[in-house]
Amino acid sequence: MKTHKTREKSFALFGAPPAFEKPLPVAQLYFPSWERYEAAMRGIFERRYYTNQGPLARQLEEQLQQFLGVKHAICVANATIGLMMAAEALNLKGKVILPAFTFVASAQSLSWCGIEPVFCDVNPLTHQMTPANLEKCLDSSVSGIMGVNLWGGTCDPAAITEFARQHALPAYFDSAHAFGCVVNKVKVGNFGSVEVFSFHATKILSATEGGCLCTNDDDLAARLRNIRSGYGAGRPVDVLKTANGRMSEAQAAIALLSLEDFPENQRNNERLRQSYEVCLNSIPGIRVVKPSGVSFSNYQYLVCEVDEKLLGFSRDVLLTLLKAENVICRRYFYPGLHRTVEYISKQQMGADLLPVTDHLCATCLQLPIGAMVTLEAVETICDIVQRAHLVSELFQSVPTQGRQ
Amino acid sequence: MTKTNTAELATFGGARLFDQPKSTSNLVQPDFERFLTYSKQFFNKRHYTNNGPLVRLLEKRMADFHQAQFCVTFCSGFWAIAVTMTALALKGRSEVIIPSLSYRRIADLAAWAKLKPRFCEVEAHTLAMSARTVAPCINDQTALIVGMHPIVNCCDAAGLVRLADENAIPLLFDSVESVYECCSLGKIGGFGDAECFSLHASKLINGFEGGYVTTNNEALAGKLAVLRGFGFLGQDHIVLAGGLNAKLNEIHAAMALANLDELDVQINRNRERYERYKRGLAPVRGIRLVEFDEAYQTSYKNILVELLPDWPLSRSRTLAVLHAENILARPYYAPPLHQKKMDYPHIPASLAVTDLLAERFMLLPCGEFVTVEDIDGVIGLLDLLYRHGPAIEAHATS
Repeated sequence: MKTHKTREKSFALFGAPPAFEKPLPVAQLYFPSWERYEAAMRGIFERRYYTNQGPLARQLEEQLQQFLGVKHAICVANATIGLMMAAEALNLKGKVILPAFTFVASAQSLSWCGIEPVFCDVNPLTHQMTPANLEKCLDSSVSGIMGVNLWGGTCDPAAITEFARQHALPAYFDSAHAFGCVVNKVKVGNFGSVEVFSFHATKILSATEGGCLCTNDDDLAARLRNIRSGYGAGRPVDVLKTANGRMSEAQAAIALLSLEDFPENQRNNERLRQSYEVCLNSIPGIRVVKPSGVSFSNYQYLVCEVDEKLLGFSRDVLLTLLKAENVICRRYFYPGLHRTVEYISKQQMGADLLPVTDHLCATCLQLPIGAMVTLEAVETICDIVQRAHLVSELFQSVPTQGRQ
Repeated sequence: MTKTNTAELATFGGARLFDQPKSTSNLVQPDFERFLTYSKQFFNKRHYTNNGPLVRLLEKRMADFHQAQFCVTFCSGFWAIAVTMTALALKGRSEVIIPSLSYRRIADLAAWAKLKPRFCEVEAHTLAMSARTVAPCINDQTALIVGMHPIVNCCDAAGLVRLADENAIPLLFDSVESVYECCSLGKIGGFGDAECFSLHASKLINGFEGGYVTTNNEALAGKLAVLRGFGFLGQDHIVLAGGLNAKLNEIHAAMALANLDELDVQINRNRERYERYKRGLAPVRGIRLVEFDEAYQTSYKNILVELLPDWPLSRSRTLAVLHAENILARPYYAPPLHQKKMDYPHIPASLAVTDLLAERFMLLPCGEFVTVEDIDGVIGLLDLLYRHGPAIEAHATS
């Protein structure tokens, strides 16, 4: 890694060597050491039990129940399939409201279940949906509310659940970003009818691919287990249709090790985040978004808002110049779901119907945080942004990635 | 251990023939070092999923293996089929033709693809659907034909391809049980619009969980690869509707690759088991082994038997007696799908041949947990059941 560049034009975008020799990934990517991986896999080979709710999947579910203080943890192949199973088990029909400022899988899970997603806007400071946002989308064909907890924070799931209750609707949560987070001494996983976590490699708890449904409702848990697969179905109950949502022993093995490492990985994220905050918040036009609504965060995302006027150039220019330095940052989320090819025609959105979402999609940038990121790397990234700001006029005419 | 009289049967209180269950699952395990060597590749690159190095390698290897141009992997065979169904189904049409005597989840898959299953008959002598049984099901709502190979031997793929072509209807082969097989057209994997396979631990190639699709259609392969990853083509660009997460992770790919390397050795073991069954069952009356057509390459994996009219016990009684001995034999695709309760849209069907066949066949233990000595034990027990059938029935109902 190179140390600080001093000359104004010493940016990779203009031909200088990149600040990082290899691309620095944006995501968490925590993974056990080779020795622990090998030992875990050897155990599986000795037991010769590979999938179908094996001993490790059962152990993982028990440990997650204990860790989260929730009655049922139901592990699945991935969070998208988990969300599809949740919509099935809740017997949702017609329309479901969710924010447009979320990952596309949230809405796709509904489409696969034949449900029309209705997109609400979000709060400009926290980026989270609120009951006020939901209110505007209610109509008689809405059968449920999908809350989305973003950025290691939450959308105030108790308030969303209460709002849903007042309208006699079930609320459930896409908590892909919120594993391990705490709201008023209650761990995320205990809100609404069911919450869905992602254990994708990009998340703080990784099974490489994977996820988990959490609920305190025995009947719902029984339906979910029967939808997941015949194996580990427990009490047989009628379900409309099944989905193969099983988690393998290999995935469960990695998740168990990852759960063991959670405290250390959370602390690492927090350390990196503090360093980012100190550096970035001193740069005009950059605001690091705080996880909202939680007393404890996993800090698995580092997202900042870019104010083009103050910084001197746009978010997309910042993205382009950082990528040139081998910093694999991302526009996230981009575009807003109401503007994706999948949903744009259905929503008949006016240009300003979801103004906050549109603004955030144009200004948010996700920076690397996780296993591959050192404090030195954070300093280097911040230094690039700082120096670029000081010579912002150089970046006025930088071509950027096209918009969708 | 051989049981020689009915009092020794576990169902009547005797000791179980096997301490460990003998199932119909394959559960093949590769050399651990080989699995680790593959694992090192993703580990060193710190690339755990999202089209990683081993997924790409597996896709190339599987395409070559099946002599198809393209292969796209998925998190399971289930979601491989669901996504491919949505990609292939003719727009504006509502029905998919599938055999009723088939995989118990295939009607659910049709429902996930928002298609109505229309169940077709099978041929009594092959247990397979054919152009003859599919043709009457084709109408102006037919969006897709799922060509399903039975558990032993292949369906008449050439006939189905011809029928689909003549009617301009897409044809997706469910070839989950036919990974290693060849048919009159050649190696399974390159026919119809696409073919789907499973990498579940119980199948020929154990990848923990997983699945893949082979095709010679470049546009379709590209579409499937995009759909399994949320519809993204590159970062930020969602180019297709109907996406989801159905990606295969790298550990599963490592396992599948290691097993693929050892496939020929596995086939030899399967063949040894199959031949043991064939020799041993020949003199046993009332039961017929469904033989592999050795004119074509075959995996010898599954052991399917028919209970003939002179078999003295009902199939359910036979299965109960076997289960008590820890022989986890399974009824063959029973109940057939058209007899099952379905709360999603489907076309009710009356299928006499299927009804009859669904009562008569069962799968016997196979795979890596079954030794040739175990097979002798199973056959000995079946022989005992035949010889003492009426007494067993009388004892069981007394």
